[in-house]
Amino acid sequence: MKRRTRSVSVIFPAALASVLLLMVGSLFGQPASGDSKSAQKFSASSIQIEPTDPGDIPMPVEFRMAIYENLITQIQKTGKFQHVYRSGDKDAASVPDLVTLRTTARAFTKGSQRKREVTTVSGSTSLTLAVHITDHSGQTLVDRDVKGKVRFLGENLRATYDFSKKVAIIVRDTF
Amino acid sequence: MIIPNSRIATNSLRAVGARSWAPGLFLLAVGAAFAVSPAPASGQDTGTPQAASSVTQNDVKLVIGGDTIKNNSQGTLSVVGSALQFTTGKAKMEVDASSIQDISTNEDSRQDITGAAHFATMAIPYGGGRVLALFSHKVDVLTVEFKDAQGGYHGTVFVLPQGQAAPIKKQLVAMGAKAKVPLAEPAATNK
Repeated sequence: MKRRTRSVSVIFPAALASVLLLMVGSLFGQPASGDSKSAQKFSASSIQIEPTDPGDIPMPVEFRMAIYENLITQIQKTGKFQHVYRSGDKDAASVPDLVTLRTTARAFTKGSQRKREVTTVSGSTSLTLAVHITDHSGQTLVDRDVKGKVRFLGENLRATYDFSKKVAIIVRDTF
Repeated sequence: MIIPNSRIATNSLRAVGARSWAPGLFLLAVGAAFAVSPAPASGQDTGTPQAASSVTQNDVKLVIGGDTIKNNSQGTLSVVGSALQFTTGKAKMEVDASSIQDISTNEDSRQDITGAAHFATMAIPYGGGRVLALFSHKVDVLTVEFKDAQGGYHGTVFVLPQGQAAPIKKQLVAMGAKAKVPLAEPAATNK
């Protein structure tokens, strides 16, 4: 009986230690795999966000404002930049490595929150915008179309939040 | 002939005495003070606010764009002095009318149920469709675009009870706020 308890008391800490080692190893391994996904990383201390250009798409002004404000919030949350400047901010002009984020509407379908709640199959709001990030010399760093959607529950403007979250992921991967 | 008559006239005036002149002089002085004072005239020209014509609206939702105020906060939207003010129990946001680049209302924001969805609501048993209809708040959306002291561009979206956005827009435009789309007259009139 004593031998059994001794062997258990030796095996259990050893197993626990090995599990802990595996967990630590996997944690250290994650950033490396994440890095391999992104092709090229740029560095910039500051970013300036421009208001959404509606282009030829009849996108309501409240959606454009919501995109702009959500983008500022979500990009601040990435923590990739010392400053996130609003369009027109005088201080941005003196930043040498400033990058600029522009968005242009490509497609917009305004759904209905009520329809979504009632039918669950119709009434989704979706918007697609071209996301363009350039450096201070005008060189393009990012040029992608990003879609924002609200399918089942939530207000129509939530599509702008969904879009901004996706742009923040792109920014996180790029800088 | 003329001279004595005039003397009589002046004498009669003197005879009436200072008692009848005093109210006249007082009225003249008050009238002159109003005529000389530039405040009311320039107030109409430059859009200086008048306390009597201020607008206050309760149960307003700040959807997005309130810097210090959380999104979807409920509060009171009012035009105080020459500024648009949104106050909640905890915080206050103020935008000067002169810094507003554009102010717009949207009456198309109503989410009416039509077509197939309308039939779907009708099919809900025990009057469920009617219950849903109770929650169909018809609202106005007021979008304010403005610049801060640094020149930074902001956009704020408010949701108000139906028909309440137009008076606020009208008031702010009168105070110098810019609006790309002029206010439609029928929306401003209340029957």
